[in-house]
Amino acid sequence: MVIDKQLDKILKKVEKPARYIGGEVNSVKKDLKDVKVRVGFAFPDMYEIGMSYMGLQILYNILNKTEGVYCERVFAPATDMEDIMRAEGRELFTLETFTPVKEMDILGFTLQYEMSFTNILNMLDLGAIPVKSADRGEEYPVIVAGGPCAYNPEPLAHFIDMFMVGDGEELFPQIALLKAECSTKQEFLQRCAELDGIYVPSFYDVTYNEDGTIKEYVKLYDKAPDRVKRAVIQSLDDAEFPTENIVPFIDTVHDRCVVETFRGCTRGCRFCQAGMIYRPVRERKPETIKGIVKEQLANTGHDELSLLSLSTSDYSRFEDLAMELMGMCKAQNVALSLPSLRLDSFSFKVLDEIQGYRKSGLTFAPEAGSQRLRDIINKNITEENIYSAVEQAIELGWETIKLYFMDGLPGETYEDLEGIAQIAKNIIDINFKIRGRKGGRFRVTVSVSNFVPKAHTPFQWAAQDRPEVLKEKHNFLSERLRMKGVTFNYHETATSNLEAIIARGDRRVGDMIYRAWQLGCKFDAWTEHHKNELWQQAMEETGATLDFYAYRERSYDEILPWEIIDPRIERSFFERENEKAKAGETTHDCRLGCVGCGMNKHVKCFHGADESRLQKIGKEVSSG
Amino acid sequence: MAKYVMEFSKTGTICYTSHLDVMRMFKRIFKRAGIPLAYSQGFNPHPKMGFAQPLSLGYEATEEYIEFETQTDWDPNELYERVKAIMADGIDMKYCKPLNENIHKSLSALTEAALYTVSVPLNGQTVDDPQKLADDYLAQEKIITLKKQKKKKEQKEVDIKGMIRRLNFSAKGDTLTMRMLLDQGSTSNLSPELVIATVLPFAGLDTDRSEISVTRDKIIFVDGVEI
Ligand code: SF4
Repeated sequence: MVIDKQLDKILKKVEKPARYIGGEVNSVKKDLKDVKVRVGFAFPDMYEIGMSYMGLQILYNILNKTEGVYCERVFAPATDMEDIMRAEGRELFTLETFTPVKEMDILGFTLQYEMSFTNILNMLDLGAIPVKSADRGEEYPVIVAGGPCAYNPEPLAHFIDMFMVGDGEELFPQIALLKAECSTKQEFLQRCAELDGIYVPSFYDVTYNEDGTIKEYVKLYDKAPDRVKRAVIQSLDDAEFPTENIVPFIDTVHDRCVVETFRGCTRGCRFCQAGMIYRPVRERKPETIKGIVKEQLANTGHDELSLLSLSTSDYSRFEDLAMELMGMCKAQNVALSLPSLRLDSFSFKVLDEIQGYRKSGLTFAPEAGSQRLRDIINKNITEENIYSAVEQAIELGWETIKLYFMDGLPGETYEDLEGIAQIAKNIIDINFKIRGRKGGRFRVTVSVSNFVPKAHTPFQWAAQDRPEVLKEKHNFLSERLRMKGVTFNYHETATSNLEAIIARGDRRVGDMIYRAWQLGCKFDAWTEHHKNELWQQAMEETGATLDFYAYRERSYDEILPWEIIDPRIERSFFERENEKAKAGETTHDCRLGCVGCGMNKHVKCFHGADESRLQKIGKEVSSG
Repeated sequence: MAKYVMEFSKTGTICYTSHLDVMRMFKRIFKRAGIPLAYSQGFNPHPKMGFAQPLSLGYEATEEYIEFETQTDWDPNELYERVKAIMADGIDMKYCKPLNENIHKSLSALTEAALYTVSVPLNGQTVDDPQKLADDYLAQEKIITLKKQKKKKEQKEVDIKGMIRRLNFSAKGDTLTMRMLLDQGSTSNLSPELVIATVLPFAGLDTDRSEISVTRDKIIFVDGVEI
């Protein structure tokens, strides 16, 4: 690829210019003569982050396999690049053809985390595209967005023309093709609105009560749905998965082959959005997975393979699959990495084999420090599970144990926090018992993140702790975890509160995001870029208060802003689960029998799985 | 086990990849091409391959070499064809041949100099006699500049005069072309950047570095060595 002088000059001045040149192995070149619809796929963070995200590769592959459609990638330029681009008047461009993004027909953003939202506005602006939908005429691309944060689209309703909610494999190519058939934006949005998974904010008006809660949604276009049903694919096994992944030139966060084994989760942790919105479990068949692995390895030359799902060992045929993949990888000098394993004896055998003497840390996520609180959040792990796994791990030579917890959970007391310290201490003691007085180089890392209530979860009504409360809890934990061999990390409270506003925000929160961006906020997920004072200022100026959005417990009567989206899980299920949480009752893993979330009224649960084994695994999980 | 060497050029946008990026890419290309490389021994085995010299990020190059060792014997032409077929745009494979059997050191240890072409847009500035400029510059008693030191913050003053083997300047249209033969390798190594940084002020030119392009034309091995 030859580039123009201006860009050449710019690239000579910036750090890591290879972020901006495209042309990687397996990136797609198309003859523009054959292209009817051009789609920009934008990841609102840096190249290294975006290229590690499998969803991008999945949709890039599917769109480019669709005849007449050309999908090109766009990332947020690092600040040094942005400054020079603005100084030189260079507009944001795609990596495949260096075309200005405003020349795309559709520009789609993926919404992975709330703290990337200011980058979306900034990227539109860098692309010389008006940031607000109302200011964009026919000459601009249709701006769309999808991904987990699209399950509460309202904070971005002023900026995005259309949201895609749910699985994108069928929906995205479908709307790309529709684009070619429509002569105006309005026609396109109207036709799309008839599809499951499409939310067009401009087709609804929202009115508010005096107390600030939502009064009603008024439809401005008759045929728009009352609630937008999320798009669901029935068969993951039939869904296209990339085998010619783009191989970046530069080091990225994850630079490896990845195969998604299944989607969905049966465990029902009450705080977890992913566990709800990806339901039901749908598995890819082992033969399909092995086929993809083989082709990916051959087409990329990667020397690492990883599996993607919400919990690797919940795959119904996991043991057989793991054994076969281990064999394949060994034969080809490829390292196999199996994230989030349930630590039973089989996993230890596998881990011991694949990690050999270079053992990475073992990870546990009890999430809460006492059985009482773990029951409230429905996290099915007991301390006995942890200790017996830790014993085995130490005996096999592991020296680092990582523990993940949350603080600020509904119903939490200081006794639960004390429990966190107790677990760390017990693990240190187990090590002394096995290794003797000195204990070797053994380390326990305790990471505590602040609970952020999320839309479409049983805890969607919950109040978040105020910063002073969180700070006190952090101080308490720092004090209690001052032990030899223990490292304690926790998250910034200000960021968690901000995340909470956006995660459960309504359209008015969009004004705050807009103001924050105007004030200079971007890359908010990066500690070094996050500017809390500016966000505070934006909140004050736009009247978005933490009291209302973050610290307030909602009532069941309230219309929640994200309920314009129907996740296909019934509200009654969320209410029931929330009440059970208050009563300290658990709900069993739905592999052991349906617990009635409502999903099976729309699709078949456990499609592609070996159902005889599901029960067995479900029982093992429940009994520890 | 057998050792081979391939020649290639690097032009266009791919020049914005670093030495390590290209190294990693070649490693993957060999895997994809189904060419098993020999691995080093030890705890952290790595494939036996290497470039004659690292190329700085942003430079083009016309005659670069990669040497590698395969687990079995190959027809060099087959190696060439397989690698060429899947190579990234901008890296042009020229040929592959068995490495001269009499060579027992790495190509990087055998490198002693390299030839560069540096193109400086003049943007309306003039250089009356380019070769005289080159000669005058070299006729200075010392050519002192600051050089980055490995693992240290402060830069160190160095005299680069002795490391410049030859300088030929010419001007055509609005461009000053500087060809320079510089020490390269482990014993004595001079980056064209230091020459550029000292020639420009000496000549009173104020062209910005971002407008200047550099190409490595040739890598020169110690006297008489045929690879
Ligand atoms: S419908 Fe039943 S089985 Fe299916 S995901 Fe919901 S709870 Fe689980």
